[in-house]
Amino acid sequence: MELEERARDSADNCIACTSCIVACPVTKANPEYKGPKLVGPAHSRMHFSDPSDYEDTLMLCSNCKNCDITCPNGVSVSTLNMLERGRYLKAHPEAHKPEDKMLSHGFEMADMLNKIPFGKSLANLGMSIGEALGVMGAMGMAPERKTPRYASVYFRDLFKTIKQPSSDKKVLFFPGCYIDTNEPWVGTAFVQVMNENGYEVLMDNRFVCCGSPLVVGGYLDEARQHADTNVAIIQEYAQKGIPVVACCTSCSLMLKNEYTELFAQSEMKEAAKNVWDAFEFLTMLAEEGKLKKVNIKSDHKFIYHAPCHLRAQGMGLPAFDLLKAAGLNVVNADAGCCGMSGSYGFHKDNYETSMKIGQALFDAINADNYHKVICDCGTCRMQIQHGTDVKAVHPIEILAKAYKKA
Amino acid sequence: MVKDKATVVVVGGGATGVGILRDLSMRGIDALLIEKLDMVNGASSRYHGLLHSGARYAVKDQEAAKECIKENTILRRIGKSCVEATTGMFVQVEGDDPDFVDPWLKGCAESGISTRELSKEEALRLEPNLSRKLKVAYEVPDGAIDGFRMSWQNLQSAARYGGRYKTYTELIKVNIENATVKSITVRDNVTKEEYDIECEILVNAAGPWAGKVAELAGLECNVSPSKGTLIAFNQRITNHVVNRLRKPSNGDIFVPHGSITILGTSSITIPDPEDTSTSWEEVEELMKTGVGVFEHLRDYRILRVFAGSRPLYVPKGAEGGRNASRGFVTIDHEKEDGLKGMMTICGGKFTTYRLMAEKFCDVLAPKLHNTAKCRTAEEDLVPEVSEAEKKAARQYFPSYGVNLAATRLGVEKFGDVVKTLKEQPETREVLCECENVTMAEIQRIAAEPTSHCVADVRRRTRLGMGTCQGNYCAIRSAAVANKLFKNKFEGCSDSLSDMKNFLQARWKGITPVMAGKTLREAEMTRGMYELLFNVNGGRRG
Ligand SMILES: Cc1cc2nc3c(=O)[nH]c(=O)nc-3n(C[C@H](O)[C@H](O)[C@H](O)COP(=O)(O)OP(=O)(O)OC[C@H]3O[C@@H](n4cnc5c(N)ncnc54)[C@H](O)[C@@H]3O)c2cc1C
Ligand code: SF4
Ligand code: SF4
Repeated sequence: MELEERARDSADNCIACTSCIVACPVTKANPEYKGPKLVGPAHSRMHFSDPSDYEDTLMLCSNCKNCDITCPNGVSVSTLNMLERGRYLKAHPEAHKPEDKMLSHGFEMADMLNKIPFGKSLANLGMSIGEALGVMGAMGMAPERKTPRYASVYFRDLFKTIKQPSSDKKVLFFPGCYIDTNEPWVGTAFVQVMNENGYEVLMDNRFVCCGSPLVVGGYLDEARQHADTNVAIIQEYAQKGIPVVACCTSCSLMLKNEYTELFAQSEMKEAAKNVWDAFEFLTMLAEEGKLKKVNIKSDHKFIYHAPCHLRAQGMGLPAFDLLKAAGLNVVNADAGCCGMSGSYGFHKDNYETSMKIGQALFDAINADNYHKVICDCGTCRMQIQHGTDVKAVHPIEILAKAYKKA
Repeated sequence: MVKDKATVVVVGGGATGVGILRDLSMRGIDALLIEKLDMVNGASSRYHGLLHSGARYAVKDQEAAKECIKENTILRRIGKSCVEATTGMFVQVEGDDPDFVDPWLKGCAESGISTRELSKEEALRLEPNLSRKLKVAYEVPDGAIDGFRMSWQNLQSAARYGGRYKTYTELIKVNIENATVKSITVRDNVTKEEYDIECEILVNAAGPWAGKVAELAGLECNVSPSKGTLIAFNQRITNHVVNRLRKPSNGDIFVPHGSITILGTSSITIPDPEDTSTSWEEVEELMKTGVGVFEHLRDYRILRVFAGSRPLYVPKGAEGGRNASRGFVTIDHEKEDGLKGMMTICGGKFTTYRLMAEKFCDVLAPKLHNTAKCRTAEEDLVPEVSEAEKKAARQYFPSYGVNLAATRLGVEKFGDVVKTLKEQPETREVLCECENVTMAEIQRIAAEPTSHCVADVRRRTRLGMGTCQGNYCAIRSAAVANKLFKNKFEGCSDSLSDMKNFLQARWKGITPVMAGKTLREAEMTRGMYELLFNVNGGRRG
């Protein structure tokens, strides 16, 4: 059912205060970008004048959502941008960049490779060769980047081999593409942590990619299909009283906020109530006194980077707070956006902007002798490892390790 | 002192006056129009902007309905860049009188107004914000018409045939000898200079002020100004004109205009047409009716409220207000009052301004032994900017800016602006971000001899008429434009006072609706201008 409040109506709330322009990392790094206030709320009133027109620099928006976070009036600026980009690219498919299709449809490639014997190792080999030969650049990808490698066993298959104690208390895990196909060990760590707390973790392989990369690539119709599929599953579990938990903050943001903002369906708003970020969930357990206590003993010093898509969820920094409370020696980098923003930094044209944005974070990380960077987001971790030489891990890995040690 | 002369002097720069100037000029009659303030100061901008299909009058006044549909068709053709061919809907929601539908359909059919029934689903698909309590919907050929633009384009058209016009020139005295108008005395409201203009015929087209102008000639003309209040919303709530299908009453019509929507209106008889005050109570009354059609109306941001007066002519003993006739009268004061050389036109609607001018000039022209036929329906008001020109100009304009600028400026000034944008890239800066107005456009209009303050530029560019109501563009445009004005008002002689006056005028329309989102914006303005810039020069302590 169509919701009454829609993101596009939120433009009405804009008082043109320009806070979002100040907060937008892309505007700062690339003055060519006209900035959130103009391309979002201001232009949303102008489309009538010429539906065939388009603000070219809207393509520069990374959908990092710092504008939404900053806006004192609740304008969904980034969503206005994505809706407008999608509207335009649908009418003008020729305006797509050559790499859009691939970067937005990573899940298709990953699924295909899983069906081919040795598909993944061949693909990884291919990528190494490709990188060496400079093929990535020709495909529109930033040649400087190392492409993420496929795990030999995806989490969806690995999960079947994990032995869990059964329990009445269950959660449904939403792994998201990156954890599923590239970093399955994060999923394993999640299962360990939940098991330690008396929860049994379920998987449902009907889940599809959350759709975030589809949205930024302008494939809104497909994203809508993904949303409908996932929302139906979430609601099915909601009826059984089983919460859905994600470790990737871009996935959880999508399930919790963006579906509703983009597509304005009441089912989506309803389903969102049953979705949790992993550390948000664990913090809730802690607040209820139900989290298994753990004391982290480590001589190392860590630095935490809060992904923009986590900050956009408006729930504080649950992983940072929880790990710190557990005794970890960790500081908050508090250095803004890493510049990667999902697939944004992979585009050749965005590479420079992406690295410029990340510089403050890289500097913060390099400022001291940190053992590891902790960050909830997979693509942030990739960017951090690219921009510094420090290894980046998901906070759930730290917690899982601590439980194991205890 | 006589400083000027013209065969005909037309008093009043509203739709009626400019229509007459164009008509006379096209017939080859030497005519001069004077307007006491900036052009389009009265009802022709302080109005709803509905290009009537006539459907609203189909039941009660079929003659008016027939005139409307005829003129509607003509204006769409000759004034393409002033008319938004939105089409309109007549809707009934639960509770509306179903018995009104049949006579209305019959009236439309008899008046030659096409109607098409829309299923509830189709109506909601076309206008998703309509109330779910929608019962019936019909499509009619309504449209929206921009009063400022239409009037200026009439002037441009007249100018091509030798017609002249002066703004800020107020009629203050009619000089009569031997029961014949010899000349008029006017005051230049910018320089305060007073002088005479000789004429053979004086045309009183002062709209709701027509009674006052008649008084200057010692005549009585019973014009009863009827004030209507209108609410401007920050966005297009609807893409169609939406009318309530019932006996016409207050708050019945929504008209989309460019980036905004206007809801109105009411009808209160007032003594003085200068009274453009509005109140929260009037707004509330309109909103209460409005939510019947758009149930979430209260969630939308109101930009401002404004009011204007209809020039209703009331023959002695007849009824005023909403029930007064919307028709118009031509008064030949020679016949009526024995005063030679003066005629008055009064009443009518914006939609029928061209027809009114035609009929009026058909009476006037023979007095000057002119037998030319009216040609105003045959020729476009102004040549349109071609698609090729627009395409070529795209690279210099901000996105979504080309069409807006082309319709606002017209061919010649559009060409000038493109040239400036091309040669001086710094003028591509968007000074008004809400309505997408570039520095080049503002400079171009500021350099016109009729521009004396930022508000004049506003009326011709839409600068300051969008979301932030001048918050950002006031300071920017005052800085850019004020130095380009050749003659300035006393109170607007420097950019600071010009800016303050401009904001103060915006404030007038905001005050009655200062709540919710509108209040937030106002606080932002106050914070910027009073605290940050300290424009009022307040001191600490
Ligand atoms: C609230 C409202 C809503 C309306 N909605 C619609 C609508 O949707 N569609 C439609 O077709 N019509 C509508 N109308 C009617 C329409 O606006 C008027 O009929 C039309 O604009 C009248 O034009 P006018 O030129 O006669 O008067 P005006 O536009 O008022 O022009 C008179 C001019 O004379 C000038 N003047 C006065 N005294 C002097 C003087 N002494 N010397 C020099 N100049 C002087 C004034 O400054 C003014 O500019 C509406 C009217 C109102 C008030
Ligand atoms: S989403 Fe990020 S890049 Fe896009 S406008 Fe907002 S702050 Fe800027
Ligand atoms: S921060 Fe919000 S209110 Fe301020 S300009 Fe940006 S969108 Fe508008």
